[in-house]
Amino acid sequence: MLIEPISSGFTVGVTRADCITSGAYGANVNDSPKPSLLDLALGWMTIGLTSVGGAGGPLRHVIVKQRRWLSEGELAELFGIAQALPGATAANIAVMMSDRFAGPLGSLAALAGLIIPSLLIAIALAGIATQLAAVNVRFAAGEIAVTAAVAGIFISNGIRLIAQLWKETPDLRVAWRCARLAISALGVVLVAAFHVFIPFVMVILITLSMIVETRLHSVERAA
Amino acid sequence: MAEQLHLLLLLAWHFALLSLFAVGGGVSMLVPQMHQEFVLQYHWVNERSFAELLAVSQATPGPNFLLVPLIGFRVASWPGAAVSIVAFLVFPVLITFVVGRLLHQHENAWIARFRRGFRPVTGGLWIASGLVVAATIDHSLVPIALTIGVAIISLAIDISPIWWCVAAGLIGAALA
Repeated sequence: MLIEPISSGFTVGVTRADCITSGAYGANVNDSPKPSLLDLALGWMTIGLTSVGGAGGPLRHVIVKQRRWLSEGELAELFGIAQALPGATAANIAVMMSDRFAGPLGSLAALAGLIIPSLLIAIALAGIATQLAAVNVRFAAGEIAVTAAVAGIFISNGIRLIAQLWKETPDLRVAWRCARLAISALGVVLVAAFHVFIPFVMVILITLSMIVETRLHSVERAA
Repeated sequence: MAEQLHLLLLLAWHFALLSLFAVGGGVSMLVPQMHQEFVLQYHWVNERSFAELLAVSQATPGPNFLLVPLIGFRVASWPGAAVSIVAFLVFPVLITFVVGRLLHQHENAWIARFRRGFRPVTGGLWIASGLVVAATIDHSLVPIALTIGVAIISLAIDISPIWWCVAAGLIGAALA
């Protein structure tokens, strides 16, 4: 699921990544010049400025479609690694991808592009929002309504992910699927109802979850 | 001066620690933790500001983790914003940099399984974040109805979340 086979064939629509063989990932590519530091900064600035409520869409658009820095499969792979490591997913992808093209300076250029322009805009907008909310009742109410919507989006993102887990393996015994569901439910209760320290909750839940997934893995293999 | 420095160091410490737990689902999973520390424990930002910054970080251009430097800015102006974002990124970036170089294109079974195992945790913590945020804002009818409404409708209609923010903002303003 993580990795799609890298397509071969140097067709018109070929991406830079298609040309990289598995043994020499990140090696020089001779069909087109490597992106410069400025290219990386500008590309990631575009991703930052077009990310509203999630960077997934813009990431794919700029990296795969527009600039052809990576293939779909390679981006999916970096996405997987970025999510499994600490930190913000978009920033982690920026670091890994840009290092492969332009070394540590490339990573820094990408991070600066991703963060600085959109942060300046966000700080300005936050300042304007505070002032408007102080003098205008309707604006203040609208702002609270947006936060309420954000809460709703978080909830539906969680439900959607859990539903996907439930549906993804229909042949799996119900007991296993319930085990996953129980882990999610435990997280909701511990954090939302009992306000347990989140890092602590995460350590417990991921331990339980890894036990379940490892057992599942052996069950699947035996079947 | 010494007080300001102490505040900046505290901010750096909290965000650096927090960053190590931003695994699997990004910053949204950590919203309850930030609320607990910055609003309830240290009183660096009040409930109103926290809700406002969360709304701004989600509904304006930019990656969602801008919530971190936005809180930093509110607490200690420009130095606060700079210290917060650097502290939040420094360890994850170093770790990612090293791991990115060690891993090659070959499928990594360990990462695949870890990611698989993380999904139920992420799902649960996202829901918890939503509930905690909903509990921190006004307990009046309109926000509660909007949270429930958006949660249900956005399950059925999968569009960019920004549209739900816009729609909710307009409804909230109209009903005020």
